[in-house]
Amino acid sequence: MRAKFAIPAVGVTLLLAAEPVVAHHSFAAEYDSTKPITIKGSFVKMDWVNPHSWIRFNVTGDDGKVTLWSAEALPPNGLYRQGWRKDSLKEGEEITVTGFRAKDGTATMWSSSVVRADGKKMFSGRADGEEGPPR
Amino acid sequence: MTFRLILSTIPAAVAAAALAVMPAPASAQSSKGQQYKAPRTPDGQADLQGIWEVRNSPDKDLEKAKGLIVEPKNGKIPYLPAALARKTSNEKNSAAEDPLNKCYMPGVPRINLLSHPFQIFQTPTQISIAYEYIHNFRNVYLKRDKHLDGIDFWQGDSLGHWEGDTLVVDVANFNDQTWFDKAGAYHSDQLKVVERYTRTGPDTLQYEATITDPKVFSAPWKISITLDRDTKPNARILEYECQYLADEAAKKKGN
Amino acid sequence: MRKGFLGMTAGTLAVGTILFLKPAPAAGQDTPPGPPREGGGRGGRGAGFGRGRSPLPPAGPFKRTADGKPDLSGYWNAANNGGAVFEVQKHPVARPGYPPGPGAIVDPPDGLIPYTPEYAKRAKANFDEHLADEPELHCYESGLPNQMYRQFGFQILQPAGYLVMNWEFMHAVRIIPTDNRPHGLPASTRLFEGDSVGRWEGDTLVVDTTNLNDRTWLDSAGNVHSDQMHVVERFTPVDERTINYEASMDDPKAYTRPWTVKFPLSRNMQPNYEIMEFACIEGNQDVHHYIEETGGKAKAVIP
Repeated sequence: MRAKFAIPAVGVTLLLAAEPVVAHHSFAAEYDSTKPITIKGSFVKMDWVNPHSWIRFNVTGDDGKVTLWSAEALPPNGLYRQGWRKDSLKEGEEITVTGFRAKDGTATMWSSSVVRADGKKMFSGRADGEEGPPR
Repeated sequence: MTFRLILSTIPAAVAAAALAVMPAPASAQSSKGQQYKAPRTPDGQADLQGIWEVRNSPDKDLEKAKGLIVEPKNGKIPYLPAALARKTSNEKNSAAEDPLNKCYMPGVPRINLLSHPFQIFQTPTQISIAYEYIHNFRNVYLKRDKHLDGIDFWQGDSLGHWEGDTLVVDVANFNDQTWFDKAGAYHSDQLKVVERYTRTGPDTLQYEATITDPKVFSAPWKISITLDRDTKPNARILEYECQYLADEAAKKKGN
Repeated sequence: MRKGFLGMTAGTLAVGTILFLKPAPAAGQDTPPGPPREGGGRGGRGAGFGRGRSPLPPAGPFKRTADGKPDLSGYWNAANNGGAVFEVQKHPVARPGYPPGPGAIVDPPDGLIPYTPEYAKRAKANFDEHLADEPELHCYESGLPNQMYRQFGFQILQPAGYLVMNWEFMHAVRIIPTDNRPHGLPASTRLFEGDSVGRWEGDTLVVDTTNLNDRTWLDSAGNVHSDQMHVVERFTPVDERTINYEASMDDPKAYTRPWTVKFPLSRNMQPNYEIMEFACIEGNQDVHHYIEETGGKAKAVIP
């Protein structure tokens, strides 16, 4: 997974009109922003790491086969500022992850948001791959 | 220590005639029974600012550093029986497993015990400690009274308040990834550290830390050590860029 | 069927629950409620976004410290940097991953770095072949002027006699004494952030930096400098929310003449904002993947 450091404005309010359009270096190379996707699965764990956190969840196909998916998300401080906590998701909980599929066809995606089992929706990365507050 | 020499050719500290960075306090020098009175910052805090460093590499092995562990009195870290096996195995595999050998963040109190100085800066709302060791910094928040919830850090989350002229820092929200020394002393994510910084003279700072972790230790334990100020004129901390040095070494090996 | 499900096989889909969504404009509605409150609460300290509230009132004058100098302390970001974080010079060609931008160079007027032929070659080689060597990918500090437009913002602390800058990104630190002291390090000592000394000229803090190493880039596109670079910065507060920042680079080995960048630093207005720990090396798996996947070097980003 090639991922250069994401670019500004995570956690910085930037309500000002001057907020620049800054794009994640590798987003366009790795993810197809014209191909949004939403997947339901069973939460396994999260890696709270820089430069990007990862949400790991098991997805069961029609054939019963279980695939471990990885959804790339904001770095830890960005998640925290969006209200994420280490215990926000419980192992085994059904989550719905929305984002963009990786171009390489693997079970990988960029995640824009996650809906928890209790229905709470949590922002996890800007829908266009950019970082910063949601539009 | 040798790496520091690569980065710096500064000669040894100049003679004692070098002026201290801070003005001498108005009150008498410390003597028997008389406590040193530190100068004040503009907003009235005891002034702890300056560049400080320990001597004699206590971070090699806390239990072997003479006089470092002051509680318990026997100078030994009070491991729970179940925790001792892990400490022993850590120590045996230290070269490969010491997180510091991977250039990871040292944690607290280890980061204050390295053979690299740090510089304390004080403002009315925060005290910021800048470390030569991989340009780490710790912000001690004087105006926040609750630890952050639901996130952990390598160096924890630091809340500070004053007890007289002693800065007391309550550190929580640790992960379980750091060691206390090269000899494999370790902790869990239940670690809490309470630090105390007291200036005991123009060029000395007494640093104490009480370590609590009910998952690893049967009781809290405490260290106490004197830090010395860098009194060279125009002193500054330098850079110890562990990852860069590792990369350069790997290049030389032809990787 | 394949097209409709974006080329995925049925086997990878959750049972009956794939939805086809446009990029979610509604995502913003569901961010944590309310601005952060005293004493914690759902957002906690330093968390949450005040999002899209009423516009800010006009900025008042900047404050001063007890010694009468402008008080530059607080949380800042360099959001309006013309895309300098991607490429500091003018970059009119869109590339995958970043849009065209004017860069941050105001002199020379063409907005381009006045390279010597040798250093122009090095910069091109970086861009074409060595993007995996970007220092930030290895968790190095960014040097100058790059550090000033790095992401996630920074804080300025202004205790007596110093300006201290702490970046969340890479936990980079710059310590600038402001008492007009001379440089004191031997020429052989080379630092990522150099040796900075500052002095006030009226309400402008002038910072002079020498002893830089040559291990940093000017941006993410591979633009470079030598270890002879000397940087003079000028921090001039405009009002309580803006500092005008200017930096001039001169480096006879790398450039045929000095060049200057200029952009504003804007105050982060989020209440209870804090810089948080950023562990880089500890989590940095991506460097290895990046290097493995590109066989040790990165090609230019291709569509």
